[in-house]
Amino acid sequence: MDDSPILTVTGLEAGVADEDLDILKGVDLAIRPGEIHAIMGPNGSGKSTLAKVIAGHPEYEATDGSAEFNGEDLLEMEPDERAQAGVFMAFQYPVEIPGVSIANFMRTALQSRLEDGEELDLFDFQELLMERMELLDMDVSFAQRPVNDGFSGGEKKRNEILQMAVLKPSLAVMDETDSGLDIDALKIVAHGVNTLRQENPEMSVLLITHYQRILNHIVPDRVHVMMNGKIVESGGPEIALELEAQGYEEYRKAHAA
Amino acid sequence: MSQATAVREEVRREIGRRAVMETGAGDPAWLRARRDEAWNIYEATPLPSTRSEEWRYTDVARLLPLDELEPAAGGPAHAAALPEELRLAMAQDRESAGRIVDVDGRVVSVELDEALAARGVVLASLREAARAGVPQVEALLATEAVPAADGKFAALNAALWSDGVFLYVPRGVRIDRTIRLSRWVSRPGTATFTRILIVAEEHSQLSFVDEILSPDFPAVTLVNTAVELFSRGGAQVQYVSLQRMGEGGFYLANQRTLAERDSTLDTLNVALGGSVGRVDLNARLLGPGANSDMLGLYFGDANQHFDFNTSQDHVAPHAHSDLLYKGALDGAARGIFRGIIRVHEGAQGTDAYQTNRNLILSDTAIATSLPNLEIEADDVRCSHGATVGQLDAEALFYLMSRGLRREQAERLVVLGFLGEVLSKLPLGGVVEKVTQAIEAKLRYV
Repeated sequence: MDDSPILTVTGLEAGVADEDLDILKGVDLAIRPGEIHAIMGPNGSGKSTLAKVIAGHPEYEATDGSAEFNGEDLLEMEPDERAQAGVFMAFQYPVEIPGVSIANFMRTALQSRLEDGEELDLFDFQELLMERMELLDMDVSFAQRPVNDGFSGGEKKRNEILQMAVLKPSLAVMDETDSGLDIDALKIVAHGVNTLRQENPEMSVLLITHYQRILNHIVPDRVHVMMNGKIVESGGPEIALELEAQGYEEYRKAHAA
Repeated sequence: MSQATAVREEVRREIGRRAVMETGAGDPAWLRARRDEAWNIYEATPLPSTRSEEWRYTDVARLLPLDELEPAAGGPAHAAALPEELRLAMAQDRESAGRIVDVDGRVVSVELDEALAARGVVLASLREAARAGVPQVEALLATEAVPAADGKFAALNAALWSDGVFLYVPRGVRIDRTIRLSRWVSRPGTATFTRILIVAEEHSQLSFVDEILSPDFPAVTLVNTAVELFSRGGAQVQYVSLQRMGEGGFYLANQRTLAERDSTLDTLNVALGGSVGRVDLNARLLGPGANSDMLGLYFGDANQHFDFNTSQDHVAPHAHSDLLYKGALDGAARGIFRGIIRVHEGAQGTDAYQTNRNLILSDTAIATSLPNLEIEADDVRCSHGATVGQLDAEALFYLMSRGLRREQAERLVVLGFLGEVLSKLPLGGVVEKVTQAIEAKLRYV
């Protein structure tokens, strides 16, 4: 097995485009195939910015450092190119797209991965969609609903997981997917991620979270603590438990800028 | 006015009057009289100017060389010679209960389910129905719904209409499949005047799809349509207009719907083609329990100009109307929506809504939205709203983050945005056809 990292972030500095202020102030991170990394940190630490920079959100701009995905310069790629290369971000706030069904969305997403002139087989697609929904214990009617339109918070997150299951990324970035979820919804999300990992043990996960509780359901290989735009500590799952016991205050004192 | 100008003017009038006589040759006396009177009104009515509020954004004096146009209605065409585009559009239609084909302002074929004909349903060339002395035609043609007195173009149409559709559905007859009008205009620089008269008797049901296509024209080519829709007590009527003309097409329609007690009279105007499209739609709610859903969808690019002028006239109490017009505009396209809800005195318990939403896809497209209310009763529920917005950057990022290319993401958002309108009137075949037409157009954007 090739053990070189799928994602290598080196000295990454980034902020909101057109603003002078860096939110990320030199982030280093390496994720190998099949690893689950969790980034924890208080509000405003920059952890969500990191997710958005990796996915290519147009509002954010890298000012220094690098991010490589499978050896390619991620920062030079458009968001759609990143997705096609295997990056997937589960949004903290999934966007409503009125009038567009989840099925139509996913069909277009898969079509976009084909060569020009090649047509997605609709029968194969239907079968894939059904199989993916079955895997995640979802009702088949779900795919006919317009994307996130009128969805509850839990439904939106389920939709993210379904898309992830259909698109089968090699790196899944979960941007605070757990925030605002009740425990049942949280379990559904965790079950989805774990199921997909079982299916494809090579899938890497970058889990961005404020709370320790999701780590009871998705067990990380590595936990990083982010403060003020930097990763200030890295270690095993025990760090999450320490954080839970101590709170971010201790870290804030220890790592005051 | 100089003498030469006066002479030219005299000649023009003479040519016009002769055109009225020629068009009306073979008509019964009542119709010839109606045409003559309409022509007089036309002559006496000034061309709408941009100084009037209703025509402020569509300068007909500049856009429409009325005096240079030739009447289109020529000899009868043969159904076998129908152009490819029209035949393709017709082949797309699912099972229908009847079809009438009109080429250059003349009906060339009429088909109607025999079982429906046996139950008294009439689907006919309007000209033939008028000449055959059908009493409803004499009573209702250009009288209550779109009379000549309605304005310059209503008068012109009433004077010069060459043919059209008469559809009559007797009491209690319910037609579950659509009836189709497939229109084709072929000659550049011509003017076509068509009328559609539909009468749905009590507790009957029908849906009618009026589709018009044409090639691209090197010169302005006018199609003027007067649509008169009557739904009697408890009837259910749906009228859909699919305007898919080519470049150079100037589509001008006067539509009026008269909904009586407990009847439903819904309309959908789809504007995709032509260079200029102007639709005047007046929905009149004449009896308690009447209902009109008024839907509109427009998608303009290049220099297309769409102008909708709607009114919801609540004459009777306890009636309901709900308007939703949505448009996407790209290139240097222009969209104008001007709508008014009028609640007449005594129309208590009125429920009337009006929404216009626009999606701007370029820096040079312009949308103008002018919703309005005029309320003369006190116990009413009315609302109006208008939005003009651009593609949501967050939505595009969301779609692109799943691998969609920018143009695929934009296409999906536009289709979803416009698709809301279609989902409210899910007529068999119409949704697919319009979606495909929008998709085809998006491919070239």
